[in-house]
Amino acid sequence: MFDFLVNWLANVPIFALPYALAALGLIITEKAGVLSLGAEGFLLIGAMSGIGVLLGVGDYPLLALIVAALAAALLSLVYALLVVTLRVNQVIGGLALVFLAQGMTGVIATRAGWTSRPVAGLHNVPLGSLAEIPVLGPILFQHDPLVFATVPLVALVAYVLNRTMFGLRLRAVGDGPDAADAAGIGVALTRYGAIALGSALVGLAGGYLAVGVAKIWVEGMTGGRGWIAVALVIFARWQPWRALGGALLFGGIEALIPRIAAAGLALPQYLLLMTPYLATLAVMIWICLRQDGRSLEPRALGVAHMREERR
Amino acid sequence: MTRPFFKAAAVALALLLPLAPAVAAPFKLKAEPKIAMVIFGQKNDGGWSQAADEARVKMEAALDMKIPAVDGVKENATAIRPVVELFIKRGYNIIIGTAFGYSDTFKELSEKYPDVAFLNLSGTTNGPNLESVYGRTYESQYLCGMAAGAVSKTGKLGFVAANPFGVVNWTISAYELGARKMNPNATLNVVYTGIWNDPVKERAAAEALVDQGVDVLGQHVDTPATQIVAQERGIYGTGHHRDMREFAPKATICSSVWTWDKALLPEIKKIMAGTWVPAPNGALLSMAKGGTDIACCGPAVPPAAVKEILAERKAIIEGKQIYAGPLEDRDGKLRVPAGQVLSDADLWKMDWYVKGVITQK
Repeated sequence: MFDFLVNWLANVPIFALPYALAALGLIITEKAGVLSLGAEGFLLIGAMSGIGVLLGVGDYPLLALIVAALAAALLSLVYALLVVTLRVNQVIGGLALVFLAQGMTGVIATRAGWTSRPVAGLHNVPLGSLAEIPVLGPILFQHDPLVFATVPLVALVAYVLNRTMFGLRLRAVGDGPDAADAAGIGVALTRYGAIALGSALVGLAGGYLAVGVAKIWVEGMTGGRGWIAVALVIFARWQPWRALGGALLFGGIEALIPRIAAAGLALPQYLLLMTPYLATLAVMIWICLRQDGRSLEPRALGVAHMREERR
Repeated sequence: MTRPFFKAAAVALALLLPLAPAVAAPFKLKAEPKIAMVIFGQKNDGGWSQAADEARVKMEAALDMKIPAVDGVKENATAIRPVVELFIKRGYNIIIGTAFGYSDTFKELSEKYPDVAFLNLSGTTNGPNLESVYGRTYESQYLCGMAAGAVSKTGKLGFVAANPFGVVNWTISAYELGARKMNPNATLNVVYTGIWNDPVKERAAAEALVDQGVDVLGQHVDTPATQIVAQERGIYGTGHHRDMREFAPKATICSSVWTWDKALLPEIKKIMAGTWVPAPNGALLSMAKGGTDIACCGPAVPPAAVKEILAERKAIIEGKQIYAGPLEDRDGKLRVPAGQVLSDADLWKMDWYVKGVITQK
């Protein structure tokens, strides 16, 4: 039983990481007032580009992850053009982007012959003697580089959003674009930046899913994880640290379910599968019941900005 | 007589009508035969869809005609209908589908186009010009189970499967029956991923099984992730759909493979000859008729075991039944009485496992 627990906990980070990175990216985008339902699409683009680098260029997993992030950022400019410049409805724009990415990744990967080709992918980098510590070693210190980079990344995003001028401007654009505009902040430019930066992180999450976890590409392999990330952001009330906590919960359950089955334990797996969604629902209900509950939500989320004189 | 009586009589009549013997008139083509295929996934997906496409190429050679195909046609009517109708408009009159999810749309199209013959791999619907075709995958998975039982040192086998329903459950129980033939104490731990092509979940399931001490991994999902994990962790694996040596040459000891050209060619020849009468409940094909076969065996399987597996393969082709009585399920309930064979209807709704299979409830 103890081995089972250690084994499970050691597997939680790789399942939590894609959720954490994707949610972190969505928080950046949404804090600037742009709803991002395209997460599933950015995950797919990232996943396919990452595998494409490994199969087409060579066994450079870190390069693959960088390309995954860049590819998603590039595609996100299309989304930015739609919703910021052309002021297309953000829900429709986001959904359209998911369909675009689904079709595009399918066509490219099929033509290139990347489907089902195994890759070596990311390797674990045990942290020296720390990795030798019983129990804690395998759980915390025997992972790939991106797992180690995630906590500092969450800290960085939290710091930048809440403690720097750049973060203040970004949040101002998300809370009151008119006021921000009047104060001389470039609303469109900030939103373009937030979309590109946030989508790059979602793309990185997708790249990790393919390069670090599955180590293979098949069409539609992200399996709806982008939508879970969208829910996770609501669950986390747009707070980076809470998103990390939520990702650990969601990832922990995803890692637990097959392990319970493999051990032949008789637990109700369908109930377990529901827990992240039940938790999200519970948080949303709790927020609605609280007086100040909506205060963390970007107030201009989903609203296109238009200068007063043009209305 | 009372109204309820009439109602009851009407209901009884309605229930009995479909049982009346249908007039089995063979289907006749109205024009020169032209065959087209509609493929569910990408035709180089390494699994299910590629197996169908490879059969298409073999059939082109055998029939000396072009068989065009469209791949990546998802399982919804709005995706299927335009593709099929375009083929029909261009004069194609034998349409081969490749997905469970095409069943309803193919039924509807077969009624709309009575002069076109429809064949659907893994479908569930049938009609005067529509036949669903599937293989008795439990025969080949039984043989791969034998290979697994022969190479396993721990006697603990693992299986990654998509969803617990008839066609999956019959492969799992057959795999365990095969394994137990070689090692009477072999057990089979099954993890369901709940989805056909999520390599993240498949890898998680496979890793979890290896961590539990399993030393051979079988699978009934759509990606080769399970075999790749087996290779990485230095254990063995058996494949489904196609020969998985392509993806995990060291680990793969046996694969259950589709032989759709062998299954479809006789049907197509009958259609061309005007003697085709679709099976009213679909064609569930045995190994002898081109259902499935095995790609076996890797060098890890001892020669004596290979001999035994090939002997069993021969027996199956000659008519040996995997689900022959007496056969009990894992709870000790008698499922197939002595002297009987599990019926096709019972196979399709199989919701039980033989002794030694460990799953979640």
